[in-house]
Amino acid sequence: MLNRCHMSRLRSMFLLCILLFAVLVGRIAYLQLWRSEYYAEQSDENRLRQSRIIAPRGLILDSSGRELVNNLPGYAVALQKQRSYNSDLLERLSVLLEMPVDDIKEKITASANYSDPALLKSNLSTEQLTKIEEQRRNMPYYVMLEIRPIRNYVYNDLAVHALGYVGEVSEYEIEHGLFKNATLGSIVGKAGLEKSYDSILRGEDGTLAEEVDVAGNVVRHHNAMHPTPGKNLQLTINFDLQMEMEKFIDAHLWSLRASGKAPDAYAAAMVAIDPRNGAVRALISRPNYNPNLFVQGISSKDWNNINNNPDYPMSNRVIEGEYPPGSTFKIVTGSAAFELNKVTLYERIYDGGYHPLVPTMGNAGGEVLGWLSFVSGLAQSDNVYFYELSYRTGIDNIAKYARIYGFGEPTGIDLDDESKGLVASRQVKKELWNEEWRLGDTFNAAIGQGFNLATPLQLAVMLGCVANGGIKYQPYLVEKILNPDGSDFTKPKRAEGKHIDVSQQTLDYMQLGMSATTREGGTAYYFDALPKKIAGKTGTAENSHGRDHGLFVAYGPLEDPELVVVAVVERGGFGSISAGPIVYKCFEEYFREKSETPADGKENGK
Amino acid sequence: MELRRTLRNLDWWLILATLMLMTYGLVLIYSAIHTFVVETGRSWHMWRQMIFMAVSIIVAAFSLRFDYRMLKNYTKQLYIVNLVLLIVVMLFGHAQLGAQRWIQIGPLSFQPSEFSKIILIICLAAFIEKRLEWLETFKDYLPVFAYVLVPFILVMRQPDLGTSLTFIAILLGMIFISGFKYKWFLGLGVTFLALMPVFWRVLKDYQKNRIRVFLDPELDPFGSGYHVIQSKIAVGSGGLFGKGWLEGTQSQLNFLPENHTDFIFAVAGEEFGFVGTILLILLYLIIIWRGIVIALNADDDFGTLLAIGITSMFMFHIVINIGMTIGIMPVTGVPLPFLSYGVSSLLTNVGLIALLLNIKVQDQRLQF
Repeated sequence: MLNRCHMSRLRSMFLLCILLFAVLVGRIAYLQLWRSEYYAEQSDENRLRQSRIIAPRGLILDSSGRELVNNLPGYAVALQKQRSYNSDLLERLSVLLEMPVDDIKEKITASANYSDPALLKSNLSTEQLTKIEEQRRNMPYYVMLEIRPIRNYVYNDLAVHALGYVGEVSEYEIEHGLFKNATLGSIVGKAGLEKSYDSILRGEDGTLAEEVDVAGNVVRHHNAMHPTPGKNLQLTINFDLQMEMEKFIDAHLWSLRASGKAPDAYAAAMVAIDPRNGAVRALISRPNYNPNLFVQGISSKDWNNINNNPDYPMSNRVIEGEYPPGSTFKIVTGSAAFELNKVTLYERIYDGGYHPLVPTMGNAGGEVLGWLSFVSGLAQSDNVYFYELSYRTGIDNIAKYARIYGFGEPTGIDLDDESKGLVASRQVKKELWNEEWRLGDTFNAAIGQGFNLATPLQLAVMLGCVANGGIKYQPYLVEKILNPDGSDFTKPKRAEGKHIDVSQQTLDYMQLGMSATTREGGTAYYFDALPKKIAGKTGTAENSHGRDHGLFVAYGPLEDPELVVVAVVERGGFGSISAGPIVYKCFEEYFREKSETPADGKENGK
Repeated sequence: MELRRTLRNLDWWLILATLMLMTYGLVLIYSAIHTFVVETGRSWHMWRQMIFMAVSIIVAAFSLRFDYRMLKNYTKQLYIVNLVLLIVVMLFGHAQLGAQRWIQIGPLSFQPSEFSKIILIICLAAFIEKRLEWLETFKDYLPVFAYVLVPFILVMRQPDLGTSLTFIAILLGMIFISGFKYKWFLGLGVTFLALMPVFWRVLKDYQKNRIRVFLDPELDPFGSGYHVIQSKIAVGSGGLFGKGWLEGTQSQLNFLPENHTDFIFAVAGEEFGFVGTILLILLYLIIIWRGIVIALNADDDFGTLLAIGITSMFMFHIVINIGMTIGIMPVTGVPLPFLSYGVSSLLTNVGLIALLLNIKVQDQRLQF
């Protein structure tokens, strides 16, 4: 018989049981009362899957509404966050996507800090898509097939330096906040308008919250946040003009090289703007590249082709190319002299082949042109005449007027990475060479050599001022921003045109001189063949690395200017031979189109 | 009237708590298999469980006509039947989840190790009772240990860690009440700790993993740690009042594995919250309380030992199962009494309750 002592052990046993229950209750209370919020979150994390709906990027249209850039449907493979990944699966994906396993692992690691799935490969080929579709049933649920629109540059390299290209945002760009709201896998603009208008074009990605079961099957959809499509850009660029000029420039550079006139003329720039408002009608830089290559994730072969080209196809010479303006700068020198009353229109200055104060400096080829007035001096691009003007006005005043015309400052066009050029001055020489200024420097500056550097766009702005009677407009490429349905949304903010401090009389004299340039006796007499009168100026920029760069700037029609055209051909030699024909062709094309579509003229005339 | 007297002597606390637990269990099982039923249209789980519940209750009621003491006469046979059953499982059982535990009879599969728990309780109670007079030195207990060791090893070989540990729990409960000295317990404990490395080698890989992962579930969040991580999330996310019946996302979306069997407590926690789990704990507390009271008042030592064996077994199952679900015990396949889906454990548990009732009924009968 169990004795009493043992019976008391029953009580101990009961107490032990109570104690154990208390431990359980304590732990349960901890989980359900103290930590319930944490676990509620965990449970939501389990069942709710957020997926991103990529917003379609806005279209880019030319001035008449023709699509230059649009989107094609595309598919991408992404992996949802997992704590670990089956290595067999990675092997299979590697074969399917034709990318090394290490690359896949790298992408997974790179996306570890972000909530979005790791994007492995976008723009699947049809073949890859079919294979993935077939095999997806045997793959874990976290292999996702996403619809991702692909950027499509309809005319390939057309206007590439204006349009730019897109690509996947880099980690560096995210970390440094270069793109607002961009997360890993976002497609952002990397150059051109794609970059400068990225926030407008990109739109906002939507999210789709799905409730899934443990196998990843979607049980129900929750509060989808629809993507906001990007807005469209309507450009000032005239497709026909741009297209014709692209073709012409390629052919022209080829013939320059083939004819032996300029055997290494590979690089060139041309810009056409409307002097009445600053709208850019055409913008071309050579060499160029096909932006569609980047969209597909550029192959190393293509990249090397671009990167190893000594002429930097990626650089937009219209805004990044800094050239000595050459004789086109004589407009500045002339303006300064007239404004400061250092010369009159009819005063004749003698060109004896050199300037008496610096006998070593004269005309190209040692020409002697005799007595010259301003108009003939500019038309024949006489150097000695302008040496004399600069001697009278002084470098400080020339620099001042150069700045008034916009040199030394970015023009403010709606593209990134614009160069500001350089205005020759005492300080510049001091800073660069630590030398005192001399008269020879002034002479050099007067004819656009020496320290002066300008971008083709700056030359166009200067010429616009001359053509429109002294208003400096900020050049622009985007006419307006449209809603995705095509209706007007807004116009980008632009600085208003500013009156420059140059009198109408002085500008009239400049026009007079430039119109003589394109007539018989001028350096670009062949412009006479155009249906309307054009005023222009040649320029030849000394190039210490080889053949001189050829420049040509012009506006027209003379009476009521609608277009300013600037062309530069690197290593092209004389401007009248290399750059002049480009400008000529541009006007020819412009007038031809205008006569074919008179309605356009009205629109442009507003 | 014999029947009337029997009714009056019934332990109504115990009966009420058991019936409530079984009802609670049906509610939880219904929810746990809800998704499966909706998807497949097969609802036989519920029917099977309810039919066996009804049958077991009727058999239990009927068994009260017999005196539990007559079981003492059959212990040898029971002990042998037990061994045979376990050997049969080892030879012919079919494996599920890495362990050979099941025997298929027609459309039903049974888990003989469940029944062997009840058999062991009866046999061990009788075995100890017979020797009570001589159990004075530690040596006297050695036959008792040997008596349990044989079925223990057989179950271990299946391998079924949960059931083998249950045997130990039963054994400890009974020797504690029969006067096993505290210092001997201490000695056993120390010896056990010293032999840990040896045990570690005996354990199967998956058992070792379970223990490793118990210590740190994040070691294997998609393998054996997954169960515990998910069940903790289920219980914790239930909060005070729970997400509501059939509304538990962990359970309904299948994030919670084995939610109708070993992890059913998590369903209660998720869908009925703290209120629901505390109610459950209270019901179990009633069972344990009545078990100990019945042991205290039992008419003979066999009854006391029996009641203690039964109570120890329940207590062990409750603590291990709930503890595992809330992440303070390693994962061992121990069902939660009356709640977990499974016919074998249901029959065993109802049988054990019937035994407890029987002990009380006989005891009261004498007093009249």
